[in-house]
Amino acid sequence: MTSLILPIHTDRLTLRTFERGDIDGLCAYHALPSVQRYVFSRTRDRGEIAGALKIMREHVSLQRPGDTLTLAVIRKGDQALVGHVALLWADATAGQGEVRFVVNPAHAGQGYAGEALAALFDLAFDHFRIHRVFARSDGRNHHSIKLMQRLGMRLEAHYREHALFQGEWDEELHFAILDREWQRSTKVRDLPIRHRVA
Amino acid sequence: MALYPDYPIRTERLTLRPFTRGDVDAVYAYRRREDVARYLFDVALSREECALAVQQRIGQVALEGDGDKIILAVELNQIASVIGEVSLILRSADARQGEVGWIFDPDYQGQGYATEAATALLDIAFGPGDLHRVSARCDVRNGSSWRLMERLGMRREAHFREHALFKGEWDEEFVYAMLRREWLGRRN
Ligand SMILES: CC(C)(COP(=O)(O)OP(=O)(O)OC[C@H]1O[C@@H](n2cnc3c(N)ncnc32)[C@H](O)[C@@H]1OP(=O)(O)O)[C@@H](O)C(=O)NCCC(=O)NCCS
Ligand SMILES: CC(C)(COP(=O)(O)OP(=O)(O)OC[C@H]1O[C@@H](n2cnc3c(N)ncnc32)[C@H](O)[C@@H]1OP(=O)(O)O)[C@@H](O)C(=O)NCCC(=O)NCCS
Repeated sequence: MTSLILPIHTDRLTLRTFERGDIDGLCAYHALPSVQRYVFSRTRDRGEIAGALKIMREHVSLQRPGDTLTLAVIRKGDQALVGHVALLWADATAGQGEVRFVVNPAHAGQGYAGEALAALFDLAFDHFRIHRVFARSDGRNHHSIKLMQRLGMRLEAHYREHALFQGEWDEELHFAILDREWQRSTKVRDLPIRHRVA
Repeated sequence: MALYPDYPIRTERLTLRPFTRGDVDAVYAYRRREDVARYLFDVALSREECALAVQQRIGQVALEGDGDKIILAVELNQIASVIGEVSLILRSADARQGEVGWIFDPDYQGQGYATEAATALLDIAFGPGDLHRVSARCDVRNGSSWRLMERLGMRREAHFREHALFKGEWDEEFVYAMLRREWLGRRN
């Protein structure tokens, strides 16, 4: 495996590891109830978010199963932290990876999650040679469900009342995609208007 | 939650009871077979491994904490001998989650004995066991196992593809499940 080259640039975004200075940007969304399910450490206030940031700053590469790579998603131009994406290396022999992603609701609906995830899938399959990437979501999270389907992920599981989450019966979906199913066409960018014929 | 069922459990044609040391030969008769082991985590067992497995099962009769198992010998009354086994594992005491499994001697398959034994086990799981949800899993190629799940009224909740390696090949797995209210609805 060649060494990991960061940051990663997409059309509108830069994906890089977290830095100390990201604390304000992170405080804007990390403790929101709608976000809590999808983060590594539950947080209620700035102190706990600082703790979560410290952990995410250590998620810089995948060396062994159990490791996580977490990348801050930065908007080019104003350098705003719009969210973060993470890849967990779940199982070495079977090449399994899990992705998690969060976008600050103030920046939602602009396709940032999809753009960042496409770059993360390229990294998972091409660089880390992962065989299957999966993601878990609340069964009522319609934005996230649509997004995963748009990325070509298949619904593999729909668990009903299989666990308690924050005192209530939970509903959980699993989406997955295999290396051979991932359409790298997202890499082919639309040409700017002026380059189009006719 | 704690579940200590009253044994034996009797159904129309069967008796479900804890294993005893005398069951080794009957268990060996089916656990030695490749066709039985094909979709099990275990490979076909030697007689010594079988004796050890039976020894372990003797104590697996109640559920208290996460991971506890009830594994019962299923006797066919007509011949008074063991033809298979059924299991109930407590996955989460907090969320009242269980998982069932079954292995039957091929000489006695195709007559509804597994269905009859599993029904009795689910009655225990959702009755005195007070579980909220019971699941079961199998290889997608194991048609007799998932057809049994469907006969019991379980719903297919998951179809995982290549999520793990199983006996050196990519695994493809179904998970079925049923909620307490669904089971009680069927039984009334
Ligand atoms: C799910 C989530 C990552 C989507 O990120 P995003 O960058 O907004 O994604 P997109 O811009 O591609 O939007 C996805 C869809 O949700 C809609 N959407 C997302 N947020 C919205 C908002 N606040 N208002 C209106 N629509 C919104 C978009 O219009 C789009 O719908 P479409 O498919 O009909 O076009 C984001 O909402 C989020 O972080 N949610 C909380 C954490 C979470 O759910 N993580 C998912 C883990 S599985
Ligand atoms: C899975 C296993 C227990 C199923 O056994 P089974 O004998 O097929 O199950 P049943 O006793 O419920 O019998 C059902 C079959 O008998 C038929 N049958 C006959 N009389 C019946 C009756 N009175 N009631 C119900 N079914 C009856 C059914 O039509 C059904 O046949 P089908 O599967 O061809 O449709 C068995 O195949 C086995 O032990 N396999 C090896 C171990 C294993 O893989 N275990 C599961 C791991 S996940």
